[in-house]
Amino acid sequence: MTDASRREFLIQSAGALSAIALIPAIPAIARQAGEPLGVALIGAGRQGRAILGELAKLEGARVVGVCDPDESRLNSGLRRVQGARGFADHRALLDGLPEARAVIIATPTHLHRAIAADALAAGRHVYCEAPLAHTVEDCRAIAAAARAAPGLVFACGLEARSNPIYKLARSFFRSDAVRDPVAIEAQHFQKTSWRFPSSDPAREREVNWRLDPDVSLGLPGEHGVHQFDVALWFTDRLPVAVAGAGAIRLHDDGRKVADTTFNTLRFESGLFMHHQASLANSFGGRHETLRGSNAAIKLAWTAAWMFKEADAPTQGWEVYANRQQFHNEEGITLIADATKLASQGKLKEGVGLPNPPLYYALADFLASVRENKPAATSAADGLRATVVAIHAARAVAAGAEQAIDPSLYEI
Amino acid sequence: MPLLLATSALGTRVELVLDEPETPALRAIGEEAIAEVHFWHDRLSFFQPESLLSFINRSAGHRAVRLDEDVWGLLSLCDRVHGASGGSFDPAAAGLVRRAAPGAGVPPSAHDGPADSGWAALVELDEPSRSVRFRERGVRLDLGAVAKGFALDRAAEALRAYDVGGALLHAGTSSVVAIGASMRRLGLRAAGSVFWTTLRDGCLSVSAPRGGTIGGVPHVLRVGDRMRSAADTAVCVGPAGSAAETDAWSTALAARGARPARMPERLRSAIHDGRAWTAEGVHITPAPEAA
Repeated sequence: MTDASRREFLIQSAGALSAIALIPAIPAIARQAGEPLGVALIGAGRQGRAILGELAKLEGARVVGVCDPDESRLNSGLRRVQGARGFADHRALLDGLPEARAVIIATPTHLHRAIAADALAAGRHVYCEAPLAHTVEDCRAIAAAARAAPGLVFACGLEARSNPIYKLARSFFRSDAVRDPVAIEAQHFQKTSWRFPSSDPAREREVNWRLDPDVSLGLPGEHGVHQFDVALWFTDRLPVAVAGAGAIRLHDDGRKVADTTFNTLRFESGLFMHHQASLANSFGGRHETLRGSNAAIKLAWTAAWMFKEADAPTQGWEVYANRQQFHNEEGITLIADATKLASQGKLKEGVGLPNPPLYYALADFLASVRENKPAATSAADGLRATVVAIHAARAVAAGAEQAIDPSLYEI
Repeated sequence: MPLLLATSALGTRVELVLDEPETPALRAIGEEAIAEVHFWHDRLSFFQPESLLSFINRSAGHRAVRLDEDVWGLLSLCDRVHGASGGSFDPAAAGLVRRAAPGAGVPPSAHDGPADSGWAALVELDEPSRSVRFRERGVRLDLGAVAKGFALDRAAEALRAYDVGGALLHAGTSSVVAIGASMRRLGLRAAGSVFWTTLRDGCLSVSAPRGGTIGGVPHVLRVGDRMRSAADTAVCVGPAGSAAETDAWSTALAARGARPARMPERLRSAIHDGRAWTAEGVHITPAPEAA
């Protein structure tokens, strides 16, 4: 949501109504007792730097090391933390930084396998960005390594599963409020070339790995994986096949990876998920819509809304809920922690997440390590979503449906 | 044909014009600069609850909040300009503005800031721990007066890192960065007339009360009554890398209506009081249409 639209929305909802208590509260995760966990970041590109920004908010973490083979990215990462040591190689970090009890892997996707395996072998807890890997083989190797390290937490960075608004929406989706799943749509539109600058022409291919068909899963892999996972998590179902198509609609600069893609995930029950992604247009940004026979839910990462069917049974609380107009439709704003906020007269302040989704994913990871409990998003979850994304990328490349062998979903 | 890139961020339109013919590599460099603008938009937005600034505003009244080098540098800059301008520049005044305009803009709440105090009394920066803490709960910083310049500084830094020799960047036409030796002519509007000035390899910021209001109250406030700006238009010009600083000082100049003695000499200024310019180191001429 843009500043302007958020401001406008806040004004519109200023006279808002009271609230409803429907979900678990947003956990008070910023305050942690005891010594902060020493964490090291491997991969200090844009996502890595965003991770450092969120870790700085979490009192339970202390960034002790940053690793990147590119000197300017490494320095840029180190500028965002105080007192951390820099490394050009992840093995040197694992050997030389015993205080790093956990590592966060935010490197190019095709490098995840070696780093994750080395980190687990070195006894480190691991948070690995999604997709887990660019091949099914690598994916399964990572998941197997995670399973073989029972004393260590392995979390996959599928952020939706830690997102308080998504958790709330899922509780609706799985209740009578939405009823039977009808269809799922998702899109990720962002106008950008997806090309990154390189000061050294010799490193051009390495820097622009997203445009290298040998290692890149393209838009279905890098963006779609998070949205496919939403469908898997909300429905508890796995697709049996993925169809796809893709084209270069704008960035005709010699690349082979499509800048616009379409995928259809087919589930055994007859449920379909349609996914579109493009680097040629930004309208609508990133969101998912899950339709049920009683209502539809629209999820936009930091906000969510429910649109009820006229014939859906009234549950009572709707009349008190905060609402927002979308053209001819009126959406009920899904607000996490609604009862508490309403009792404080601050319901309007609950519209939208108070932190980016990444913050909650990292907080869940730290909590899992500290409390020795399973990760919110396990290696198995990461494997399943990535297997779907890999088949979606294949479908785009082949322009034909790809059946998914169900055994690939198992570790 | 120069390469133009534009985006919506920081509550306005941000444009980059790179003085070279378009190539995929040049576009990638420009997009890296745009990504920096968005990165800082997401961190410094007063309105997005998930921004770092919102996190600081929620948390710093309860505990010290650790800052990275960049944000520490920005808040330290705010601290310096607040002090040197005699309080004319005050990012802690957001709550005051809201109190002055009840029912408009973002509605006032129990969390609006204390009424009679500002940055110096409310904000505590601790250098050893590189952290910020508010001395009272309910304080809210609004970095809107410096965020555009700060983001442009970071974007320009990205362009220079990839050896871009010439470019012009602006956010909402009020914060401008010029890279390279080319002299650029810029238009200024003051008291209903258009003027020209020039900029080469440096930064220029313009503040005027008409530029924005919250519930009818100008966003630039005069020290004392905190309700009106003292200048019609204020301009601050500085060297490369100083857009956040020129942003802060142009706000202070507009609020104060005069150049403070402690304003750094390397920054040049011009103030239009509604009748004429008082310029120190800034060459301003009427545009031909207005002459």
